[in-house]
Amino acid sequence: MVGAIILVAPEIPQLPRGGSAAKTSGGDSRPEEFKKGTPLACIEVLGRSVLERGVDQMLRAGVNAITLLGDSCFAPVRDEVDQAATNFPLTWGDDAWRGATRTLRRHKEPGIDVTFLVRAAAYVELDPLDALQFHRGQQQVVTRAFDEAGPLDIWIIDTAGVAESEDIVRTLGESEPARYEVPGYVNRLEGPRDLRRLVVDSLSSRCRLRPQGSETRPGVWVDEGAQVHRTARIVAPAFLGRKSKIEEQCLITRCSNVESNCQIDYGTVVEDSSILSNSYVGIGLDVSHSIVNGNQLLNLERGVALEIQDPGMIRRNAIPRKEANLQPADTFDWEETKSTREEEKRGLDLDDVSEL
Amino acid sequence: MPITKPVVIMELPEVLNRETAQTFLLELQPLLESHRPRIVLDGSHVHYIDGSGVEMLLQCLEEAMKRDGDLKLSAVSPESEVILEFLRVDRVFEVFPTSEDAVRSFSAIPAEAVPQDTPLYGGLFGDVQVLKQAS
Repeated sequence: MVGAIILVAPEIPQLPRGGSAAKTSGGDSRPEEFKKGTPLACIEVLGRSVLERGVDQMLRAGVNAITLLGDSCFAPVRDEVDQAATNFPLTWGDDAWRGATRTLRRHKEPGIDVTFLVRAAAYVELDPLDALQFHRGQQQVVTRAFDEAGPLDIWIIDTAGVAESEDIVRTLGESEPARYEVPGYVNRLEGPRDLRRLVVDSLSSRCRLRPQGSETRPGVWVDEGAQVHRTARIVAPAFLGRKSKIEEQCLITRCSNVESNCQIDYGTVVEDSSILSNSYVGIGLDVSHSIVNGNQLLNLERGVALEIQDPGMIRRNAIPRKEANLQPADTFDWEETKSTREEEKRGLDLDDVSEL
Repeated sequence: MPITKPVVIMELPEVLNRETAQTFLLELQPLLESHRPRIVLDGSHVHYIDGSGVEMLLQCLEEAMKRDGDLKLSAVSPESEVILEFLRVDRVFEVFPTSEDAVRSFSAIPAEAVPQDTPLYGGLFGDVQVLKQAS
């Protein structure tokens, strides 16, 4: 049997020379000035987050037990992260890497012999079955995925090979893993530019990521419930997300994507830009080479990030309630969940978060 | 010899929202109401500008043009440029890197750009005397 642990966590803690694990600060790659700390893998891109797509990939490959663990350092953006994984529930804890150690131990009981350990960060076109076959052929406890730029945060671990007392961070840090070279497309999602590149690559068929919904005419993808006024013009390639609304005289062009529950108001032009979910873009505006997220505007051409206070220009739309398609609560109950909830009641200590 | 009116440079406030825009407009009003106002608004200290701020700039430009004058912007920060583009007014204003450049631009054709020994129309219509004779 094969299991998978997917972490919404900062990078793996570095092992200092003394050997004990210490958590790194600022290891995550998202830009501080934009998106307020939400991992880019948890942001809806062409209808679904990279995290959600990753879970689906595992399910399709026949992985029997999937556990999603969220690290408390992302607690301030917990709602957004939860929204990103509508196909599977996330369990939150103080330290997702320690949670992974516990989950790995529990995997031994139902007879899971191999576990994928994935940090939700990059978009990687990996065939789990091919990677598994490679791992089994290597006869090593750990295999790590690599691309041309170096290691990726994807490991395949022999569950039986990990000692009962062993910490997963130590195992991964100290072992010399087998190298599995990912043959497919990789986007490390290290910043908003990568997010935009992923959209362009997908809409230009340079990767296997397919937009949600249906292709209503060549290159124009429209998801369920999207409304386009008859005087608006959508120039391919473009994507319109679920329940998005494009008003009169608008123009959506040059690999632009308008994600779910967005509204583009009268006469506005969206060119070579991404409008992230639940955003409103006002009347008669010109959005070019940019990413809009609620009241945040990031102009990639000029490298300028702005927070606009005028709700008539851009703002966050009301976020719809999370769809009730969650599976029953995770069977791998996590000890730290309770304490995290208590901590949240007390008010979060943001010292750890500020450096990220 | 004609006396040219001086160009006035005014610094825009750090924050240009509804309130500060109104205050700034009141300060600028006497200048805008003069004959042929020539104004440069220096944006080097602007940290934040919203729709009301841009509206005020457009109002000033309109007033200046009504009185046969002009209003130009200088030292606009990348953030303000993004907002001007976003609101589609970036092409309405003349924008210069510095206030000095903006002031110089009020002299329509710089003296050094025009050769002093040949008439301006020479290259276009040839010799005017020859044309007159032919007619």
